Amino acid sequence: MAATTRIPSRFRRLAAAFALALILMPDSSAQAVQTSSVADTVVVVVSSDSPVTEITRLHLADLYLGRTTRFPNGEPAEVIDQGTTSAPRADFYERYLGRSPAEIKAHWSRLIFTGRGRPPRDVVSGEDMRRLVAENPGTIGYIERSLVDGSVHIVRVE
Amino acid sequence: MDPEISSPDATAREVSGPTPVAGHEESSHGRSRLYRLLHHPVRPIALLVLAAFLALAVLWTATWNLGRVEHENARETAETTSRELLDTYEAQVFRVLQQMDQTLRSVQYAVQLRGDGRTAFDDLNDRDLLPPDLIFVVSVTDHDGNLVATNGASLLAGDADDDILDLARESHSLVVGQPVAVGDEWRLPVGRRLTAPDGSFGGVATVEVDPTFFVSGYEVSRLGRDGVVGILGQDGVFRARRSGDDVTVGGRTDYESVVTEQGFGDTRTVLSTNEWDGVRRYTSARELYGFPVAVVVGISENEALAPADDRTSTYVARAGMASLLLILIAGVLAWMSWKLDRVRRREGEAQVAHARRVEHLAYHDSLTGLPNRSFLGRLLEDRVRLAGRYGQQFAVLFLDLDGFKQINDTLGHDAGDDLLREVAERLEATLRDSDVVARMGGDEFVVLLPTIANADQVASVAQKVIDSLAQPFVLLGEQFTVTASVGVSLYPQDGADVQALMKNADIAMYEAKEAGKKAFRFFSQWMGSESRERLDLEVSLRQALVRQEFELHYQARRDLDSGRITGMEALLRWEHPRLGTVKPAKFLPLAEETGLILPIGKWVLRTACRQNVAWLADGLPRLSVAVNLSAAQFFDPDLLDVVASALEDSDMDPELLELEICESILARDTFKTVPILEDLKRLGTRITVDNFGTGYSSLTVLRGLPLDTIKIDRLFLRADAGNAMAHEVTDALVAMGRSLSSSVVVHGVETREQVDYLRSHACHQVQGFFFDRPSRATDIAVLLRGELVTAPSQESF
Repeated sequence: MAATTRIPSRFRRLAAAFALALILMPDSSAQAVQTSSVADTVVVVVSSDSPVTEITRLHLADLYLGRTTRFPNGEPAEVIDQGTTSAPRADFYERYLGRSPAEIKAHWSRLIFTGRGRPPRDVVSGEDMRRLVAENPGTIGYIERSLVDGSVHIVRVE
Repeated sequence: MDPEISSPDATAREVSGPTPVAGHEESSHGRSRLYRLLHHPVRPIALLVLAAFLALAVLWTATWNLGRVEHENARETAETTSRELLDTYEAQVFRVLQQMDQTLRSVQYAVQLRGDGRTAFDDLNDRDLLPPDLIFVVSVTDHDGNLVATNGASLLAGDADDDILDLARESHSLVVGQPVAVGDEWRLPVGRRLTAPDGSFGGVATVEVDPTFFVSGYEVSRLGRDGVVGILGQDGVFRARRSGDDVTVGGRTDYESVVTEQGFGDTRTVLSTNEWDGVRRYTSARELYGFPVAVVVGISENEALAPADDRTSTYVARAGMASLLLILIAGVLAWMSWKLDRVRRREGEAQVAHARRVEHLAYHDSLTGLPNRSFLGRLLEDRVRLAGRYGQQFAVLFLDLDGFKQINDTLGHDAGDDLLREVAERLEATLRDSDVVARMGGDEFVVLLPTIANADQVASVAQKVIDSLAQPFVLLGEQFTVTASVGVSLYPQDGADVQALMKNADIAMYEAKEAGKKAFRFFSQWMGSESRERLDLEVSLRQALVRQEFELHYQARRDLDSGRITGMEALLRWEHPRLGTVKPAKFLPLAEETGLILPIGKWVLRTACRQNVAWLADGLPRLSVAVNLSAAQFFDPDLLDVVASALEDSDMDPELLELEICESILARDTFKTVPILEDLKRLGTRITVDNFGTGYSSLTVLRGLPLDTIKIDRLFLRADAGNAMAHEVTDALVAMGRSLSSSVVVHGVETREQVDYLRSHACHQVQGFFFDRPSRATDIAVLLRGELVTAPSQESF
């Protein structure tokens, strides 16, 4: 009962393509958001008390891949994930980090195995996420746009 | 014992040995061949080749060594790396398994505490005590195997595989299940038995993880593309294994052969072919403490050694290039050395050839190619030695050509040389190969008959020699007959040494000549007194000049009308200390034969010139001096210098010097004589033809010569005065002489009748005993002084 699989090694290629896209088409993400027919696109949010209003994609990726634990302004940051199998989560990683769940899993596998990191805490629902973020100004998370209310505000991702 | 020592012909071999070290060998006969080999001159080319081979050997040994060291270093590095990576991997796996076990123990504890799996699980989850569900799926089942709680998609939800339940049910420690495929993923369950409050089996707590998780730490930078890390169950099943990007789950191998050491000692790294994929690796494996699995790390031999192999290849390539270069250089040097060697060898050969030529010249006569006097001397010495030892007889034939002198004088040196060559050829043709013919110089040859039976045999050989030379020779297109006289001496009766044999053969030869030439004579004790006398004379003659035994006498030449002295003729006298006065007729031919005539003639010329000047200085009248030139003198290339220097040194007026030359010499070859005469004339001297009328030369020939005086030989006057025939001849001669030159002198006038006759026949000058005998210079001075006082009257004659 042996079976061999190949680990996708697309990280670098994707990162490169991503950087290229950033340079060539600065509005691609905005267009993607607008063209999406789904009204409930996932947006990045922080507590309405947080001074953070915008973040670069790279910094966002660094936060969610465990490479940094601080906001661009230097304040400590705690990232929150939604449930492993939730749709917003897959959407988030696909949309903002350009990575599939498998890639994310492989990433954390390596980090956990080598003892160099721990995946973000996760919550069961968007509502839980909104509440948690709203109550903790040092956190950052993502929810469907439809769930955004006054307790949180959307962080512009550039 | 070296056979060469006792070899009887060792001496012969040394003499004829072709090796240049023959002389050296003589002294090192007893030494070994090795000695000779070591002392044999080594050729540079051999050294070169040897050096090149040594250099190549060193080069390739170094290269091989370097490659070996590289290989060894790479191997050690690979082994070390393999072990270090194993240590790291072991620590990682151990930590992860321990965390998983910790989770299971937490679940165990919570279930025990709450009594209900579901509640316990939620409790743990709420308190965030469960590992991230992204990687780890934690589940709890009841004692029937039904899933009670899970934080993910547990494979226990279905009835995919309850292998883990069976395992956990039987064990009180951590169990590791088999990997199970779930969709396109794998799950590896790890579980612990749950115990019910009554101590019975209460279910199982499991943590499932994607087995690839265990190999996610694979680093290509350290392990390469063909390295391996893996986690191997004690059951021999790989839970996960990774090489490069290839991850394998499952797969069985022989646990014992991979995990060779299960103790706590240092893990050995083994280079072996991994059974699962056929790759040779430096493989390290270690069983984990407290878990039923082992970790395996391997580094591919190919990859580990590739850089070293590459470097070794580079070294080999460089060594190859260096070798090529070396061989090329060595080749060029060898080629140059070979060329140099060849040039040297050629030079050496040329030197040897030159030395041989010089030796040949030293021992052979250049004209005829025959052995010369010194070579013959050596041959004779040898012959005397051997004949003495073995009691043999041999003969020496001394051969002299009769009348060669005349041929040389009349036909010239070239013809003489031709004759000598022809004689040499005839002698060699006549004699056997074993006989030796040598040329002593001049017209003297010596024949050595090395072995003879008796004197008769020698006589027949001598006669054959004489006969062969009696055949006419063709010189300058004309036939000449030259005969030879041969003297024979025999060893041992005629002499015990070379000198005696040669001398006696020479004596015998003179005896043969005396006896009428064209003959041979054997030496006998009684012969040779005359010959010896002649030899004595020759020896004395050679010393006469040095001992100043020569003297010049002068005979006056007078004008027939006035009776006054008009000139002098210088005449040579030899006062031998023992023999007294020697007649010119006796020693002059000898002087001519021996070539002594040249220095003697020179002396005569210089003395006559000095005397003439001395007389003038004494206030005596200006008178000419006539000096006779022999054929040898006349044709001597130095003649002009000799005459010129005699004149110059004495400061004599050239006009007063008369050179008397025989008609026979002058008429011989006008092509030669005219230039010589013209040269002499140019010096200012006067030319007198001596013995006019005896040379049988034609008037036409004589007319072309620049002559000043004609001297008619007294022979014609000796004839009876009453002989009409003689008078007619004399008349004719005087008339002819007058027509050829300004003055005619008759010498040898001895009687009044002759004087009267000559006076009546318009001859102006005479010379002879009738008037004056040849006298010493001092007497002549007295005579001349007397003349100054009283001129002798005609009547006094």
